[in-house]
Amino acid sequence: MGSTEVGRRDLFKRAAALGLFAVPGVAALSACASGGGDGGDVIKRGPTSKENPFGVTKGNPLDVVVFKGGFGDEYAKQWESAFAEKYDAKISHLGTQEIRGKLQPRFNRGTPPDVIDNSGAQSIKLDVLHKQDQLTDLTELLDAPSVDDPNKKVRDTLIPGTAEKGFFGGKMHALNYVYTIWGLWYSGKLFKDNGWTPPKTWDDFIALMTEAKKKGIAGFAHQGKHPYYMNVVIMDLIAKTGGLDAMRAIDNLDPKAFVGNDAAKRSIEAVYEIVDKGLLLPGTNGLDHVESQTAWNENKALFVPSGSWLENEQLKSTPADFDMAFLPVPVLDDSAMPFHALRAGAGEPFIVPAKAKNQPGGLEFLRQMLSKEWSTSFAKEVSSLSIVEGAVDPGVKLRPGIKSAVAAVDACPVEDRFDYLYTEWYSEMDESIRGATSELMAKRIKPAEWLKKAQAAVDKAAKDPASKNNKRD
Amino acid sequence: MALSTRETAEGGPAQPAPRRSPDGPRRTRGEQPEAPGLNVFSHGFLALWALMIVFPLVWIVLGAFKTDREIGASAWSVPSNWALDAFQRGWEKGVGDYLLNTVIVMAFSIPLTMLLGAMAAYVLARYEFPGNRFVYYFFVAGAMFPVFLALVPLYFMVDRLGMLNTYQGLILVYIAYSLPFTVFFLHSFFRTLPTAVHEAAVIDGASHTRIFFQIMLPMAKPGLLSVGIFNILGQWNQYILPLTLMQQQTGTDPDRSVLAQGLVSIMQQQGYAGDLPALYAGMTIAMLPVLVVYLSFQRQVQSGLTAATLK
Amino acid sequence: MRQGKYPFILGFLVAPVGLYLVFVIWPYLQTIGYSFTDWSGQTQTFDFVGLDNYTRLFGDEVFHNALRNNLQFLVFVPVLTILLALFFAFMLNVGGRGGGGVQPVRGAGLYRIVFFFPQVLSIAILAILFQAVYRSDGAGLLNGILIAVGLGDPASPVEWLNSPDLVRWCLIMVLVWSGVGFYMVLFSAAMQSIPRDVFEAALLDGASRTQTFFRVTLPLLWDTVQTAWVFLAILAMDAFLLVSTLTPGQYGGGPDHNSEVLATYLMRNFNVFGQAGYACAIGVVMLVLTLLISVITLRATRRDRIEF
Repeated sequence: MGSTEVGRRDLFKRAAALGLFAVPGVAALSACASGGGDGGDVIKRGPTSKENPFGVTKGNPLDVVVFKGGFGDEYAKQWESAFAEKYDAKISHLGTQEIRGKLQPRFNRGTPPDVIDNSGAQSIKLDVLHKQDQLTDLTELLDAPSVDDPNKKVRDTLIPGTAEKGFFGGKMHALNYVYTIWGLWYSGKLFKDNGWTPPKTWDDFIALMTEAKKKGIAGFAHQGKHPYYMNVVIMDLIAKTGGLDAMRAIDNLDPKAFVGNDAAKRSIEAVYEIVDKGLLLPGTNGLDHVESQTAWNENKALFVPSGSWLENEQLKSTPADFDMAFLPVPVLDDSAMPFHALRAGAGEPFIVPAKAKNQPGGLEFLRQMLSKEWSTSFAKEVSSLSIVEGAVDPGVKLRPGIKSAVAAVDACPVEDRFDYLYTEWYSEMDESIRGATSELMAKRIKPAEWLKKAQAAVDKAAKDPASKNNKRD
Repeated sequence: MALSTRETAEGGPAQPAPRRSPDGPRRTRGEQPEAPGLNVFSHGFLALWALMIVFPLVWIVLGAFKTDREIGASAWSVPSNWALDAFQRGWEKGVGDYLLNTVIVMAFSIPLTMLLGAMAAYVLARYEFPGNRFVYYFFVAGAMFPVFLALVPLYFMVDRLGMLNTYQGLILVYIAYSLPFTVFFLHSFFRTLPTAVHEAAVIDGASHTRIFFQIMLPMAKPGLLSVGIFNILGQWNQYILPLTLMQQQTGTDPDRSVLAQGLVSIMQQQGYAGDLPALYAGMTIAMLPVLVVYLSFQRQVQSGLTAATLK
Repeated sequence: MRQGKYPFILGFLVAPVGLYLVFVIWPYLQTIGYSFTDWSGQTQTFDFVGLDNYTRLFGDEVFHNALRNNLQFLVFVPVLTILLALFFAFMLNVGGRGGGGVQPVRGAGLYRIVFFFPQVLSIAILAILFQAVYRSDGAGLLNGILIAVGLGDPASPVEWLNSPDLVRWCLIMVLVWSGVGFYMVLFSAAMQSIPRDVFEAALLDGASRTQTFFRVTLPLLWDTVQTAWVFLAILAMDAFLLVSTLTPGQYGGGPDHNSEVLATYLMRNFNVFGQAGYACAIGVVMLVLTLLISVITLRATRRDRIEF
């Protein structure tokens, strides 16, 4: 990084000229102004084999940091003890919600851990890490022999399309391990008691909520403090209405992604109906996810949007007979995709930092995660699916919500599953669209203005030269 | 003000007796026609404000005895769960450790802040030397800086000293960030102390250091007390500094979070496994020792602040 | 004696100045340096970009919003806190009628204890408390009260922190709520140092309590008020924890940047958007602003001290 060196020297010259460093003694420190700690010895690869493709040598420490959110971190501890046994490794385990707070400084210092589960509200943005060459290219992992069948490559053991979520600049840099589906959720019991059937079209959806309102149940709750969730509904509806092209237009920062896109217009107008017809749970725009989801658990509202982690997250407040069930976002007339189409994809990105001390160990850890043994233990521990195809024994008993989610996945052929990438690629654009959604739900702006704001966010992201690196087909 | 300062300086009470005289009614002839109305109004307003403080606190403490459903149902739901299980869960989330960590840090940082701050302030206030004004303004300017500005370089600095996630690291940083205010305040305080005593001591042949520790420091006690209170409140409430510097680095590193930091992390944690009663219980646990200490020392706190106005 | 002076001065200054240099001044200087770079905050590499970050600030709507909101905080937090604190201090010290001309109201001691209490609560506790108080449905305390007295409608509760008009006032109220007690005690103390005869003389001259307050008390307290103003302004500059935990958005600031303050925008740029250099430039603006305010406040409120 020659230019950087020059840049830095320039900076200090300039700063000195400005008299900023007039304090005696500090000049000596300027040499190490921004860390630059090289983090000590890097662990080299030993001899490789089909069973040990990354050349892990025994007796080295492995530093693992996992997000301790809805899944807890017990599952990771089980993996780690298996890894420790196999490679005689000394494992350092840290489970936390504050990934960013704890790790950003370590990245800065050049001493990141070897494996990170970078998830949750406080995760580090992967686009930013990738831009800075902080992530190990995982192509090597995809091409490595799988644990269960050394004649098969790892990439061939995954659910199709799941690896792509971790692609930055055309190469895989993150292993999104959990297979999640997104959509609407309802109480099977509430529907059964009232004789309602889950709506498949948007009109039925609105009609059902209107009927529920007469009975004193609000139609729709959403996690207003975190517009992320509402954006799932909006974006899914756009994708289903306009087809995958509409989705790609957004991810690829098309100048007509929103404004001038008929699918987007119809979708946002349809979503606005919920607001306009007063079908929202009172106060839901200001509630956070726990508050709104708990209100929904108490049958104060029919639907709530979320990913399939919802059941796990709400375990404590869900009544025993609630019978949680999943519903793909209902479709508009002349929708390009069928009702059963849904957003499905991999989440919970695991990364190996480029500057990890024990990079072979980190890669091997990820490879082991994709083994039948490890993915089954994960499913048992947290009742969720991993991206390993058919890894979970059908005998594993699942709770009602996830069971209904699995049924929805089975009903949806792979070509009808979709997943947005802009949330990973363009954090600032994502944040701006969330802001617009929040305004729309509070009835402070109209659909037309939402489209304008969303388009402005897209256009702004397109101006960033770095956006050229991301493109999807 | 000069008068009261001198009284303070002589070690006397900040408020001489006559001012507080509870010596019965000294009736004056003014009958103040608007007084009754004002009185009702003012009493009402005082009572209202007191209610505004006590009521939300009591309300949220009661939340620790509700279930998640009751909390979500209505603000007026009656607590049904009078067991202490929420408190147990709150405690298990580490509130006790957070309190302990905070106390350990402050047990060192406060006395050291006071000592170093007083030393610097004293020298700057009572000794002429080239660069005196410069050093003084240099310190005072620091009181104006937003801490956010320094976070990242500060992190590297503490890292280079090998003091991340250590008590001594946070203690040193707390001291450094409390110095501007402490020096600023004690500077004006030392200036008001009478010179006569000092001169007498010099004639007696006492050394500078002895004069400071045995004469000036005791005389500055009221000032030290009030700055001490400011600093205790300030450091007690620190969030962003410990968030940056007191982070567990790896699994083998002990969790040394301080209170504010720990509570916020519990607050975030409950976003992944909803448990509001435990959050409220944890908050209550964190509040109780403060309440006890405050009630026991409120007189000192308030009289300490009195000295703050006498500069 | 003479020869010992400089070693002594040096000896006393070296530790505090050293600590201060290492942990405060040096990091600040580095940050100012970073503000001229395109540093991402994630790595050690960056390029020098001159004043780009600063020129970008000029066109940044969100930044302007944050600046405006900060100014609103800067004006109203001190004004409201000081007015309430003065009023309460006056009442507690000389507002009573009882048997005499000038004495504290009944229960003054208790009021003092209660009013001061929020100040000793950790700011994290305030965040938890007010999240529940401002909750946007009937389960929130404020909405609960409004509904109970018939002013609120359970079907359309007030979304306090999600309303562009209310959110800033909600935050200001939290700061005022927690700060009033402290400044009340501060002003009380100052009032107690005013000889009682001054008040009694004023009352004897037929001055009303209101007149006494404005003509006698306030001028005598001016010094303290001025100090309070600076403290409160600094407090208002840094409403970070409250804004970032209570309001919508990553690091708060919502809805639609209506509660954005410089500190939250700084942190979001730093931690979420990976634009640390830009964040540092925002920090430098904060620094300049705080310095300006302090100087202006101290100048504008400078008056002759009243000696008595």
